[in-house]
This record gives sequence, structure tokens and C-alpha cells, in this order.
Amino acid sequence: MRRTSPSGARVLAVVGARVLEALFVALLLASLVFFALRLLPGDPAQLILGDEASPAELARVRATLHLDQPLFVQYLGFLRGLATLDLGDSLRQPGTHAMARVAAAVVPTGALAAIAVGLGTVAGLAAAVLASGPWLGGLTRWVERGLVAAAAAPLVAFAPVLTWALAVRARVVPLPGDPDTPAAGLLFASALLAIPLAAHLGRIARASLADVARAQFLVTAQAKGVAPARVWVVHALAAVAGPITTVVATQLGALLGGAVVLERMFERRGLGTLILEAYATRDLPVLEGAVVATGVLFIVAQAAGVAVHTAIDPRARSNA
Amino acid sequence: MRSRRWLDLAPLALVVSASALGAAVSREPPGRLHPAQAWCGPSFERPLGCGEAGVDLLSLVSSAELRAVALASIVSVAGLAIGAPLGAAAALARGRFERVVERSCDLVQALPSFILALAVLSALRTPSRAALAAVFALTAWAPFARLALAQTRVLRDAAFVEAAVALGRGRPGVVVRHILPNLLGVVAVQLGSTGAAIVVSEAALAFVGFAPPGGVSLGGVLDQGVAAMLLAPHVLLIGGAAVFATSASMLVAGRAARSLPMGRRS
Repeated sequence: MRRTSPSGARVLAVVGARVLEALFVALLLASLVFFALRLLPGDPAQLILGDEASPAELARVRATLHLDQPLFVQYLGFLRGLATLDLGDSLRQPGTHAMARVAAAVVPTGALAAIAVGLGTVAGLAAAVLASGPWLGGLTRWVERGLVAAAAAPLVAFAPVLTWALAVRARVVPLPGDPDTPAAGLLFASALLAIPLAAHLGRIARASLADVARAQFLVTAQAKGVAPARVWVVHALAAVAGPITTVVATQLGALLGGAVVLERMFERRGLGTLILEAYATRDLPVLEGAVVATGVLFIVAQAAGVAVHTAIDPRARSNA
Repeated sequence: MRSRRWLDLAPLALVVSASALGAAVSREPPGRLHPAQAWCGPSFERPLGCGEAGVDLLSLVSSAELRAVALASIVSVAGLAIGAPLGAAAALARGRFERVVERSCDLVQALPSFILALAVLSALRTPSRAALAAVFALTAWAPFARLALAQTRVLRDAAFVEAAVALGRGRPGVVVRHILPNLLGVVAVQLGSTGAAIVVSEAALAFVGFAPPGGVSLGGVLDQGVAAMLLAPHVLLIGGAAVFATSASMLVAGRAARSLPMGRRS
């Protein structure tokens, strides 16, 4: 591929603009959480302590959470806390920093999502290449139909059903919440999470491959006698890497939502279960930290997708 | 073209009428408990069997389906009603307003909507259906606005729009009389996918514990099913099939909009 001379600077400019935008999205999400918890009807201190709390207890919780200060001062304090990664102690586990609980939950969720992205990308690309090449013949249409069906199937409906079929009936995967086989459980949960991603990616990659199928460079490669596998995997896939990274990036939000559902279903520790637990126990510092951390995880992953796209595809740099 | 449109609406009509029939046949309000019959399998008396503490699944699933379809329809139509005029007005105005609306759409579509819903709902003790609708509407307008913006960019240079402006019609008049009728067919196709996404999100939120008051939700059925996976697998299978049927029927129904009349273009 031809490279323009200031391409390094272009990449930096594109990535820089995306980082600013990402920070803005993170700030927006954090502010929304903050104001939703304080402005919606219902006194947070009352919600935390329940209806039978004494005025003295309510005053103590309000002071701990700075709810007795003006909203603007609270907001500034919240932003400072985010910037210094210190949102105060967890209300339910006094002595533990809220951010420490959040940090402990980021790792399992990150692992679940990362393995799902890896599995989904490989499976989606494999399906697209198989459907594009000359190997399957009449079966090609079935691969395409399977991708459409899988893309339309909601995770919350098929994950429990597949788990029942594979764990209870066929007994090939561990039951949800089985503590003895953490690795197999993680892999199975990631595989479930990867299915919608693989389906979307497969459809887009299939369509993109069909677009480049008649391109001159592919015809040339075929005319020179390159094997079909090499034509599709090395030549054609590289040309459609741009749309593929974009699809992965746009599917990340749904992926994290799915991770919350699966963590709850498999009783796995992670950001999703932490958010739900903090919600149930009204642990505001942990809840705020966990939601913002989920948003940041999403934004970082998305920015990484854009960076990969601009790095591998010179066309993405030209319209910076 | 016309018969095809009715064919696209058939699955949704089937889901709604089957749910209405189920609610009528079960003769009891959703959520009434019969502890002696907990997790019982399908029988003549209870066609879909029972769930946790003996709730009648036919009654629960039918009402949950009707409510999910109602919520999804209201929110997606509201999204269309907000998004389409906004996008059309932005494209007609050009300049800064157009850029602001376009960037806002990007921003809203970039937010992880499920996490956003969790964040907002966690401020409430029990999320009401109105709160759920409001949370979904926060993001539902954006795809409609985006489509309307793109379509209006094409339409704004059309001769009949220029003629209307030249004849002295104001911008609101042009949007309502000339632009909206011409872009509804394209934009309305989004109704189906937005509706299906809302059905699934509502079920997922209820599944993780953000159920509306009374717990009448397809996600609640799935939650019971997962808890009793070994004991009573029919609960899980019924819940999964109900979510799938409801969301898929909404998705297909959206395609009926493809054949909407395309206005006075010629």
C-alpha cells in the first residue's frame, strides 16, 4: 500500500480527536449517573437506610456522602474523585475503597469481553470467508441464513436455553455457578457472548467481501494461480479490515450489556454483578464507580478499535 | 406490494392475538400464587404449567408479552415522532444546527444503552413502566434523526422543495408538507428494529433485577427459568421462546413500512 509521508502525524491527529471525544462521552455518562442518583425523586439517604431510619442516622449518611452540601459543590467533588480515582469508602464494606472493589471487578469482566471479542471475530470471519470462497457450493446460502438468524436472536433468550441444552441435557459444559471449573465456565460464557458479535461481523464481512470480489487485485491474484484460501484470507480480508474493526467497535456496547446479563446468569464476579449488588444495597460510591468504569472500559476498547482501523487502513486517515 | 405488507404484519398480529387470548383464557390476574403447584408442568388446567410459587405461566407470559409490545410500540413511535422532524429540520437548516444534531446522534448512538439504562434506573427504588419508557426514549430518537437527516440531505435540493421555498413557504411548512411525507417510508423501517431492541432490553433489564412493579415481564420468566433449570426446564424454554417470538415479530413488522406510500414526490 502507498503511504503518504505525514501518515504518523495523521494517525496521531485522528487518535487525539477520538481520545478527546471519548473523554467527553465518559464525562457525559458519569454526569448522568451523578445527577440521576441525586435529582430523581427520592432521598438517597432514605433509600440507603430504609423507611425506619432515625433522623440522626440520616444526617450521618448525608454527611458521609456530602449530600448536605450544595449540588454544584457535590458535583465538583465527584469529578475530583473520578480524576483521582477516589470516590470514598464503600458504604456496605466500610474501610474498603469503592474504587478498590471496582478495580477487582474490572478484571473478570475485561477477560470475559476480551475472549468474546476474540472468539466472535475469528468465528465471524471464518463464516464470511467460507461463504465467499468456492468451498461450500450449495451450503453457502445456509451459512448466510444462519448468520441472519443468529444476528436476530436475542442473547437474553438463547443464552439460558443453550445453557440448559448443553449443561443440563448434554452435560458437555459446567452448570452456571459451578465453582469447580472456572476456566470452562469462563470459556462457555465468552462463547455465548461471542455469538451475536460473530453473526453481525459475519454478515458485514460477507457483504464487504462480495464488494471486493470483483476488484482487479483479486482477479490478478487468482489469474496468477494463487490458492483460493490465500486469495480470500490474505488478499481480500486485508482490504475489508476497516469495516470489520468498525463493526467490532459498534458492537462493544451490546457486548458489555450482554456481559452484565451473563455474569448475572452464571453468578460470575464482575462489573455487572457489582453494579447490581451496589444497586440492591444502595452503595452509591461503588455504584457510581462501577458504572463509570464500565463506560470507560467501553470507550477505551472503542478508541482502540479506531486506532487499529487508522493504523491498518490508509483510507481512514485521509478524512481526518 | 400491498399483500406483502400485510404478510409482514402477520407475525406481530399473531403474537398479540395469542397473548390476548392467553390472558383471556387463563381467567386470573398475572402473578397470583398457588404454592402447592410450584414448578408444575403443563397440564389441561394450566396449559403452560407453573413457575415459582405456582404462578400460572400462561397468564404471566401473555400479560408480559402484551405489555412488552405496548412499551416497544409507544417508545419507537415516540422516537420516530421526535427524531424524524428533528433530523429533517437540521438538514434543512444546514450549518451549525445540522452539525450539532449529527454529532448528538453519533454521541447518543455511541453510548452503551444497556449500561445507560442501568445507571438511570438504579436511581429509583422500583422502576415503573413510565420510567422504563423514558429511559429507552433517551436513546431511541437518535437512529430516526440520523436517517431523516441523511434522507433530507437528498430531498432538500429537490426541485419541489426549492419551489415551495421560492413560493414563500416557511421552514416548518416545508418540513411538514413536503419533507416528512417523503422520508417517512425510509425512516419508518427503523421502527421494527428499535421496537425489537426495546423488547429485548426490557427483558434483559428485568432478568438482571430491574423488573417493573408486580414483576410482570418476560425477563422475570427467564430469571425464574434459570433458577429452576434442573427442576422445571419448561419455564426457561417458554420464556426464551416468548422473548424470541415477540422481538422477531416486531423486527418483521418493521419491514411493512418499506411499502409505505412515498408521498407526492412526482
